[in-house]
Amino acid sequence: MTYQAAEPNGQGPVPLHARIEVVGGVLMIALAALVWFGAIDLALGSLTNFGSGALPKLLSILLGASGAAIFVQGLLRPDAGSEHFQFAVRPVAIVVVAIVLFALFIRGGNFGFISTPQLGLCIVGPITVFLAGSASPQASFRELLVLSFGLTAMMLFVFPDLLRLGIPPFPGVLQDSIPPALGRETALRITYVGYGAIAVALYALLIRGDRSAA
Amino acid sequence: MTELLAHLYLGFSVILSVENIFLCLIGCLVGTLIGVLPGIGPLATIAILMPLTYNADAAGAIIMLAGIYYGAQYGGSTTAILVNMPGESSSVVTALDGHEMARQGKAGKALGIAAIGSFIAGCFATLLVAAVAIPLSRLALGFTAGNYFALMVLGLTLAIVLGSGSLLKAFCMLLIGVIMALVGADQITGAPRLTFGSSVLYDGFNIAVVAMGLFGIAEIFRNLELREHRPFVTSTVGGLLPNRQDMKDSAGAITRGSLLGAIIGIIPGNGATLSTFASYVLEKRLSKHPETFGKGAIQGVAGPESANNAAAQTTFVPLLTLGLPSTAVMALVGGAMTLHGVVPGPQVIDMHPELFWGVVTSMWLGNLMLVIINLPLIGIWVKFLKVPYHLLFPTIILICCVGIYSVNSRATDVLMVAAFGVVGYLLIRLKFEPAPLLLGLVLGGMLEESLRRGLILSRGNVWTFLSDPLTLVLIGLSIVIVGSALMPAISRRREVLVEDE
Repeated sequence: MTYQAAEPNGQGPVPLHARIEVVGGVLMIALAALVWFGAIDLALGSLTNFGSGALPKLLSILLGASGAAIFVQGLLRPDAGSEHFQFAVRPVAIVVVAIVLFALFIRGGNFGFISTPQLGLCIVGPITVFLAGSASPQASFRELLVLSFGLTAMMLFVFPDLLRLGIPPFPGVLQDSIPPALGRETALRITYVGYGAIAVALYALLIRGDRSAA
Repeated sequence: MTELLAHLYLGFSVILSVENIFLCLIGCLVGTLIGVLPGIGPLATIAILMPLTYNADAAGAIIMLAGIYYGAQYGGSTTAILVNMPGESSSVVTALDGHEMARQGKAGKALGIAAIGSFIAGCFATLLVAAVAIPLSRLALGFTAGNYFALMVLGLTLAIVLGSGSLLKAFCMLLIGVIMALVGADQITGAPRLTFGSSVLYDGFNIAVVAMGLFGIAEIFRNLELREHRPFVTSTVGGLLPNRQDMKDSAGAITRGSLLGAIIGIIPGNGATLSTFASYVLEKRLSKHPETFGKGAIQGVAGPESANNAAAQTTFVPLLTLGLPSTAVMALVGGAMTLHGVVPGPQVIDMHPELFWGVVTSMWLGNLMLVIINLPLIGIWVKFLKVPYHLLFPTIILICCVGIYSVNSRATDVLMVAAFGVVGYLLIRLKFEPAPLLLGLVLGGMLEESLRRGLILSRGNVWTFLSDPLTLVLIGLSIVIVGSALMPAISRRREVLVEDE
């Protein structure tokens, strides 16, 4: 593999509550309880014609029992063989925010807790790439800037133009002000060619120029 | 025989259209690319690219997805040999002797024999798929609901036992998958089930969304916590063509590898990976010079490489003939078929012959393309190794977002991808292998349906249900398999295999 664990596992004994089996077991039991709760009002039916609640209830019992077994396994395991539960919060949070922003603003709309305007792929695309990319410890903002525009240009070319898939390319405000003489298709093509040109210019300016200066 | 030829002719007439050749080529190219790139496997790629196939027809879509899958087997061996870095789990074994050959300046020979072996194995597997498909599907058409239920239980049991990691955890994942399959409108009454009052869940879980989150995004989270290394690439590749002596040395290994891979591929479980280990062990045991293994034995490359490619193709057999996906990748392919209105099952061959034979012959054509893609163009693929991961992963994320949104134009799909990404990462950290979840999700509905119908037919009597001889045998086999997997001697061997991976 090209990648190696950045941090070695913590030394010393693993506390019971942090063992992966213990956490995993509890998670399974909680899920089983959730399923049982969700199925509580569903009919059990009979063996000849079992109702919609039969299988969910049966499966939640099985899941709970298996979860309990994993939980006990974790408790009984000798210290040497147990593993510490770790979760890298920062990169995960950054990437999730990037994806959520994409979802909320690509067409916009009323999501109950928030009402958003349509920003379209040409605004949301670069933001998603740039934000998601900054989750890596190796992130270089110059490279990401080039990538943001280059990739968005490519996506605008492939999805709405080449494959004709329904993804809004423009912000809601701009979309209606495109002059009919120009047409949406031409506007789209101008946009991705422009974005591509920006990416090339940024590359020449920020990365090439920098390298030759160095 | 003439029937077989007629079918293959039909297949070639489907595949030899401009669009399908193009899709096959795209599939093979993308497959090779992700096979070369470490940190992204065929499962994640198929999940990510599934939306792109939505406006192709069913046959074209499956041809492309299949190309990605077996293309990855070719690509994976390239990095295994050149940089001792298996791009896929199925090329771990190849690295042992392949990279050793590269260090001795025989990288070209290793690559050449890997491609030739894969091609021969691919041709053999294509013929095998064509030969067993009709008898198997005829057999399956006679199955009762009870038989089907038992067959699914057996398939899922094998998939869990032959997979990696803890049995109990895999069982949990399977259960969650089946439960997720039940979420949404009840199949009979249409009443909402387990939706917790949410209208988003009324349509159930979309397999593309779940797979993209669990495998595509979660994989990124896992790679992000690792430090990036620039791989060192062997600079001298050497002559690509193995000489006559090399061919003579590896002929046996290729033949045995093809056979072994083709058989193991049909059995549920991770056939492609498992068959490489089996083939390596077999070759080492049969060899007159077992001491050369690990020191650049050409048989140690030829055997496993043939095996994984044969297995990658025969894994399609259970899906296309019985409608039962045996691995997570096949679950996705099955999902893609369903999205195109083709329900996987024994009726596919009769109702959609153009799809079935088109896919089978596309495998042969794809293998031919792959030899060309991999051998003369090897230099280009090696360049891709230099793409740094910190630029690759934001690319994947944007493709995921745009891809999944463009399918249904639903922002909730994108949000769910993010949620399943976090869930998948949590599962990886807790050492739960999420592949069985996908199998459960695809098979869950069918499982309930066949159990329900089976019990209605036997008037609610469990014994009548079980007394059908075939059902009894299949359920019995499942019990024996689970029992033997729990036996100390075998469970220890499973753990060894997991550590080897």
